[in-house]
Amino acid sequence: MSAAIKEGYLVSDRKKCSGCMSCMMACSLVHEGKIDLALSRIQIVQETWGRFPDDIALAICRQCVSPKCMEACPTEALHVHAANGNVSMVDETLCNSCMACRDACPYKPSRVVWHREKDVAVKCDLCINTPYWDQKGGPGGRQACVEICPMRCIKLVHEAPDEGTGYDVNLRNKHWGWLGFPTD
Amino acid sequence: MSYGYAGKILRLNLSNRSVSSIDTAQYERWVGGHGLGSAIFWDLCPDKTISGFDPRNVITIMAGPMAGTLSPGSTRCEMQGIGPQGYPIEWFTRSNFGGRFAAQLKYAGWDGIVIEGRAEAPVWVNIANDQVTIEDAKGLWGLGTRKTQEEIWTRVTGGAYTRQKPAVLCIGQAGEHLSRIGTVMHDAGWAAGQGGFGGAWGAKNLKAIGVVGTGGVKVADPRALMAAWLWHKTNFQFNVDDPRHESPRANFSDYWDINRCPGNATITPIAEPCRPKGCQGCPVACSRRAASGLANEAHCFSTAWPFVNIFPPEAAESRMSTGEWSGSLLESLDISQQFVKDRSRVTDLANDYGLNIYDVFFGDVYLITLYAMGILGPGQTIHCDLPFDRWATSEFKEAYLKMIAYRAGIGDTLAEGLARAAERWGRFKDDTETGLLPYPHWGYSEHNNPRVEVDQEYATVLGERDSNDHSLNHPCHQIPRVAKVAGVEPIVSAERMVEILSQKVLPFQGDPFMFDNSEGPTGIYSASRAKTIAWLRRYSRFWKDSVGYCDFLWPNFIDPNAPDMLGYTPEGEPRFLNAVTGKGISFIDGMEIGRRIWNLDRAIWVLQGRHRDMEVFAPYVYSVPSPRPNSLPVYEDGEWKYSGNVGRTLDRARFEEWKTKYYELEGWDKSSGWPTRRTLEELGLAKVADELQSRGKLGV
Repeated sequence: MSAAIKEGYLVSDRKKCSGCMSCMMACSLVHEGKIDLALSRIQIVQETWGRFPDDIALAICRQCVSPKCMEACPTEALHVHAANGNVSMVDETLCNSCMACRDACPYKPSRVVWHREKDVAVKCDLCINTPYWDQKGGPGGRQACVEICPMRCIKLVHEAPDEGTGYDVNLRNKHWGWLGFPTD
Repeated sequence: MSYGYAGKILRLNLSNRSVSSIDTAQYERWVGGHGLGSAIFWDLCPDKTISGFDPRNVITIMAGPMAGTLSPGSTRCEMQGIGPQGYPIEWFTRSNFGGRFAAQLKYAGWDGIVIEGRAEAPVWVNIANDQVTIEDAKGLWGLGTRKTQEEIWTRVTGGAYTRQKPAVLCIGQAGEHLSRIGTVMHDAGWAAGQGGFGGAWGAKNLKAIGVVGTGGVKVADPRALMAAWLWHKTNFQFNVDDPRHESPRANFSDYWDINRCPGNATITPIAEPCRPKGCQGCPVACSRRAASGLANEAHCFSTAWPFVNIFPPEAAESRMSTGEWSGSLLESLDISQQFVKDRSRVTDLANDYGLNIYDVFFGDVYLITLYAMGILGPGQTIHCDLPFDRWATSEFKEAYLKMIAYRAGIGDTLAEGLARAAERWGRFKDDTETGLLPYPHWGYSEHNNPRVEVDQEYATVLGERDSNDHSLNHPCHQIPRVAKVAGVEPIVSAERMVEILSQKVLPFQGDPFMFDNSEGPTGIYSASRAKTIAWLRRYSRFWKDSVGYCDFLWPNFIDPNAPDMLGYTPEGEPRFLNAVTGKGISFIDGMEIGRRIWNLDRAIWVLQGRHRDMEVFAPYVYSVPSPRPNSLPVYEDGEWKYSGNVGRTLDRARFEEWKTKYYELEGWDKSSGWPTRRTLEELGLAKVADELQSRGKLGV
């Protein structure tokens, strides 16, 4: 099964991230109506005594053009739809909790999260389905993590980034450098 | 109590290793954090005159309803109990820390922890959601705070449900050796630093508490919370891509005090590649994580101390060459890579041992001064083997820290806190008369100048420890000070500053003289100043220490990130609280709860022996003129202006008169400073009044 080109992707600058996890809290809040890091579709992993920039990793769904998660799904719960800009999403009514999608994701940690309360897979949908937020999401709208981030280190783009390093971008400008932080 | 709360408080008895719980709802009217801690301490510690080392000491660790939620700078955690640091009396006290511990505690299903008794042998507490075990601390006891946490992380992982490591609170060797200046550390740099809680934990044989939670926190109005954060971000957060108000100089950490830019509450310039790093949910990110991995998450005095006191010999003359203390002055010093790493290692070592940086810093200066006077050193009256000829080096600082942590040599005395150390040496009386030992109150060092910037200091002497309250320090002192150092005009005039402040300090709005720091009739001895202190204590007791708002972001009066310079106090505080809890608490409601909490604390101190006669400063404050400028707004000659206020002393008689005004405002007995029945009953504290009365300590 192949998927159409997505109309929206999240890229991020891990050197700019302050590890505040506001994105994780916002993601679970708008999707679930509560703050729950385990239900966040974006995960920040950090090492307290780590060495910058390897002390933080941002695990954000890449909206892969040929998503392994979708290929692994036996029920077509994980799907794309042109109406949603081809953003890969989970139809919870079709999910059978097999977690094949989670296991198929080539990135670690998996970008698919197991919703322990509903017993279904959930993943980043670019905030298309956010029952607890009044903003329109999707490639033409807003994403909670992008809007919330105080360091403005997550950005929505509309062209597919390079598979390799295209998702880790430099969003730091001269003002960041003026503070004394590195801009390279 | 379902929104913002877990619903249960964990109760641990280390003597019999029992685990039980308290319904948070029993204490609902205290809201969270400090309010919960004081109320629970009142109930569970019948004899409040015990030492902080006594097994009957009840230590509480309380989150607030905002912890772990999407509210800016709101995940502080409040520790309370009898604190061994207080001198001459170990007052019931508090210390507060950030990071992510309070959030994980809430996610695990707990609003707080109560610790009673004493374990027979060292233990640590393992909390994984509702699974709580008290385990032997073999393999942990004896380790520094870093290795303790790393070891716990090998023993406890999040498993399938979370990628977060357990949040750990622990003591280092200083606490294990019952240091009165022992801290309790969390992650790399967050500390319950004041009060000596590290020693209190050590006395209980408690090494660490680790908590990992895979649950969440319910929010009453998710849409309102998202909207509130975006309101805050758009109007008040420093825009890192396009700041409305930028520092006039590059890499100028002092300017953090003005515009809350990230990564700069370290009082040191950036000297190696790093990122800003803050507590969970904080948009300011006041500390850093560096390429070297050194001094991660450290900030404020823990980075300032080595930066000030480790320098190459050729820099000795330029150090502290002007009057006002400023990190920016130190840019002129050598910040070569070797010194950066030396200083950072010293910061890490102090945090690893778990030592109170204030006492360490002032002790460092006190020792070199006594050495220079020929009183202290190898073979001197006060024997000390430290290498004083290499005082300004990391070698000295490391040896000094180690001695204190392990109570070796002179370290055994220094571990008692500098006030008690000076007393043991027979120097406390003389050195607090001359100011050689700048310890004005309760065994805590100066934080601000007690002769001039009286807000923190009056609050301290009426309280029980360095109040460490920057509510007014940030606007009143830092705005003119940083402007002077930067060579620019202050962002607001003195007149405009007091106008804004007086509008925002509900319920005492409308009196600009609350911010007059002069010695005139409307200044620091006035009835207006009594309102200032009352405002500060109520605000801090409720909005900061109980709700969980961080002192670095709250309150916010004058904000150059805002289009009109007006900060988000008093709108912001209830906006976020009510979006999370749905309780409908107004700003003024919160101030009244704060008054109740302040009076409960007051009652505890009265039972511990407090009387107005004790609420005085060390003699030097009244007699030794302040040597350095301390910029603050004053009303003099019919106009508002910023003044350096050099050469002032506090007037003893006028301060005593001022205390009377303050007691009257608070409804306390003027002769004793004790709360009256009328005041306590007004606050719903009739039982507290009964207890004071039964002890013959009720105000009339």
